[in-house]
Amino acid sequence: MRLPEFVRTSEFRRTILRGTMVATGAFALCVLLIIAVIYRPTSRYLTASVDQLITERIDAFSKLPPEQRLQALQQHLTADPRRVKLVGLFDAQGNRILGNVESLPRDLKADAPALQLSMMRIDAVGREQQTARVVARKLDNGQTLIVGRNIDELSEVETTVERAVAWGLIPALCLGSLFGAFLSIRTQQRLDEYNRRIQRIVAGELRERLPVQGGAPFSELARLINGMLDEIEDLLRSVAGVGDDIAHDLRTPLTNVRMTLESGRNKASNLDELKAAVDRAIAGLDQSLTMVTALLRIAEIEHSRRLEGFRDVELVELIRDVGELYDPMARDKGVTLALEAQEAIVVQGDRDLLFEAVANLVDNAVKFTPECGHIELKLSRSGNTGVVRVSDTGRGIAPGERDLVTRRFYRSDKSRGEPGVGLGLSLVLAIVKLHGFQFTISPVPGGRGCVAEIVCGPAAGQGS
Amino acid sequence: MPKVLLIEDHDETAKQITAELAGRGYEVDRAATGIEGLDKARAAEADIMIVDRLLPGIDGLTIIEVARQEQIRTPVLVLSALGAVDERVRGLRAGGDDYLTKPFAILELIARIEALLRRPPENRDTVLRVGPLELDLLERAATRDGQPLDLLPREFRLLEYMMRRADQLLTRAMLFEEVWNYKFVPHSNLVDVHMGRLRRKVDPPGQPPMILNVRGAGFVLRAPS
Repeated sequence: MRLPEFVRTSEFRRTILRGTMVATGAFALCVLLIIAVIYRPTSRYLTASVDQLITERIDAFSKLPPEQRLQALQQHLTADPRRVKLVGLFDAQGNRILGNVESLPRDLKADAPALQLSMMRIDAVGREQQTARVVARKLDNGQTLIVGRNIDELSEVETTVERAVAWGLIPALCLGSLFGAFLSIRTQQRLDEYNRRIQRIVAGELRERLPVQGGAPFSELARLINGMLDEIEDLLRSVAGVGDDIAHDLRTPLTNVRMTLESGRNKASNLDELKAAVDRAIAGLDQSLTMVTALLRIAEIEHSRRLEGFRDVELVELIRDVGELYDPMARDKGVTLALEAQEAIVVQGDRDLLFEAVANLVDNAVKFTPECGHIELKLSRSGNTGVVRVSDTGRGIAPGERDLVTRRFYRSDKSRGEPGVGLGLSLVLAIVKLHGFQFTISPVPGGRGCVAEIVCGPAAGQGS
Repeated sequence: MPKVLLIEDHDETAKQITAELAGRGYEVDRAATGIEGLDKARAAEADIMIVDRLLPGIDGLTIIEVARQEQIRTPVLVLSALGAVDERVRGLRAGGDDYLTKPFAILELIARIEALLRRPPENRDTVLRVGPLELDLLERAATRDGQPLDLLPREFRLLEYMMRRADQLLTRAMLFEEVWNYKFVPHSNLVDVHMGRLRRKVDPPGQPPMILNVRGAGFVLRAPS
C-alpha cells in the first residue's frame, strides 16, 4: 500500500512563501502608515508656524512710519544667510521699490491669509525660483508690501524622510523575506523527514518513530504521533497473538475430527459404528464452530455502537433467572449456589446481552468450583446503581493472571483440562464495555476463590 | 406435501438445504435473487418461506416487509450470518417469524420450519392434554394418569411449551428462547440438566417415557403408543 505524501511539498512551500510575503507587505504598509501619520501633522504644524511668523512680521512692518519701515525692511533682508526671507515693496503701479521679489505675484491678494506660491527671488547671488508662504498688505500710501518665507526646507525634510524610509524599509523587507524563506525551508525539511519516516512505517517498519526535536508545535506533534504508534504497535502485536492462538486452538479439535473420520472410515464394520464415528466428528466440528462463532460475536459486540435497542432492564429478575438457570447444574456438581437479589434496580441496557454476561460469570464459577464449594450470586446497590457480584470458592486467579484472563483465548494452565474455549471473560468484558459499565475480577481477600463484579454504571468520578 | 420457498443466493447452501428438505418430503422452490424471490412470494403458493438476510438486488428484510404490506401471511424464517441482537430484532420486526444465525445445524433448521408450519392454533383451553399428561393452566397443576407432578415454575413452563408442540422436535436453542425467553445460546449442557429434572418427574420408573431425547438435535414430547 502506498500513501500519498502527507503534505504536498511544492504546494506547501508556496503556501509558506505566500504567507511570508503577505506578512512582509503588511509590515511595510504599517511602516508607511506610521510615517504618514507622523509626517502630515508635522508638516502642517511647520507651515502654520511659518504663516504666523510672516503675518506677525508684515503686521509689524505695516504699522511703522514709511522711513522707518524702509530701514527695518533693509535690516530684515541683510540678516538672511540662508536666503529664506522674501520681501517686496511695490508702488501703486506695481513697480518694485525695495526687496528681493522680482514682481508682485498676480494671485496674491492684499490682506488675505498666507498663501503658498512659487516666486522669483533676486538678490546679490542671482535669480532663483523659490516656493514660499507669502502674505501681502496694502499700505496707507497706496504701496503694497509682501513678506514671505521660503519653505523649500520643508520639502527637504520630506526628501530626508523618504530616504530614511527607503533605507529602513528595504532591508526590513529583504530580511523578512529571507526569514520567511528560511522558515519555509526548515519546515519543509522537517516535513520531508516526517514523510520519509511515515512512508517507512506504512511500508511495515512499525518500530520507526518520528524525531522529537526542534520547536514546540513539531515536537509536540511528533510526541503525539509516536504515542499513537506505540498503541498501534501494541494492538497489532496482540492481534497477531490472537491469530496464533486461534490457529492453535482450532487445530486441535480439527485434528481430532480428522482422525475420528479416518479411523471410522477404515475400521467401521457396520453402519452403526460409522454413524458413531461421524457423530463424534460432528461434535468436534461443533466445538470449532462454537469457538469461531464466539469470536465473531465478541468482535460484533465490540464493534457495535451503543445499541438503539437499549431498554430498561430489571436486574433482580435477570439475576434470579440466571440463578435459577444454573442452580440444577451446580447441584449436580455438588456445589451450592446462593442467590441474593432483593434490591429493585433498573439499568439501561440490552437484556439478552446482560443475561449472557452474568450467565458466563456463573458458568465459569460453576466450572471452576470443586465439589462442596460455594458460589454466591448477589445483586446489591451502590450509590444509584447496581452491582452484580459472583464469588466462588474455586481455585481463584493467580495475581499475574488477572489481566490475562479477559484476553481472548487465554486459559490458565490449570484450566486446560476443563471444557471451554477461553472466550467467556472476553465476551463479558465486551458486553460490559458496550454498556459503559465496569468489570473487575479479583481474588477473595484472605481465602480461596475469586470475585467477579459488574458495576452497572460509569466509573467513579465520571459522574452519571 | 408442504411447499417451501427458499430465497438464498448462495448456491452451495441452497443445494444442501434443498437436498435435506426434499429428503424429508418437502417440495422446495428456490429463488436466487431478491426480485425473483419477491415474485414467487407474491404467487403465494408456498406454505413457508426461508429468506436469506443479505441478497443481491432486493435485501431479504425488504422482501419480508413488502410481502407483509401486501397481506402475504406465509410464515418466514430469516437466515443470516449477522447474529447481533440488533439484527435479530430487525429481522423479526420486519415481519419474520423466526431467525436463525449461520452457521446452523440442518436439524435446527428443520425443527424450526416444522415449528412454524405446525404452529399451534390460538388455543383458549385452560387444560392441555397429551396422552396421560394433563396440565391445568389456571390451577398451575400437572398430573400424569391423575398422579400430581410437583413441578417448579420453570419446569411447568417447559412442559407447557412441549405439550403445545407435542410430537415436534424441539432443539435446545428453541427451548431456551421460548421457555427462558433470552436470546442466547447456552453452552454446557444447561438445557439438558433442566430437561433431566423435568423428565424424572414426568417419566417415573416403570412408565413408558414421554420425553424423548433425539441425539444431537433436541427433545420430543410424545404420547406413549
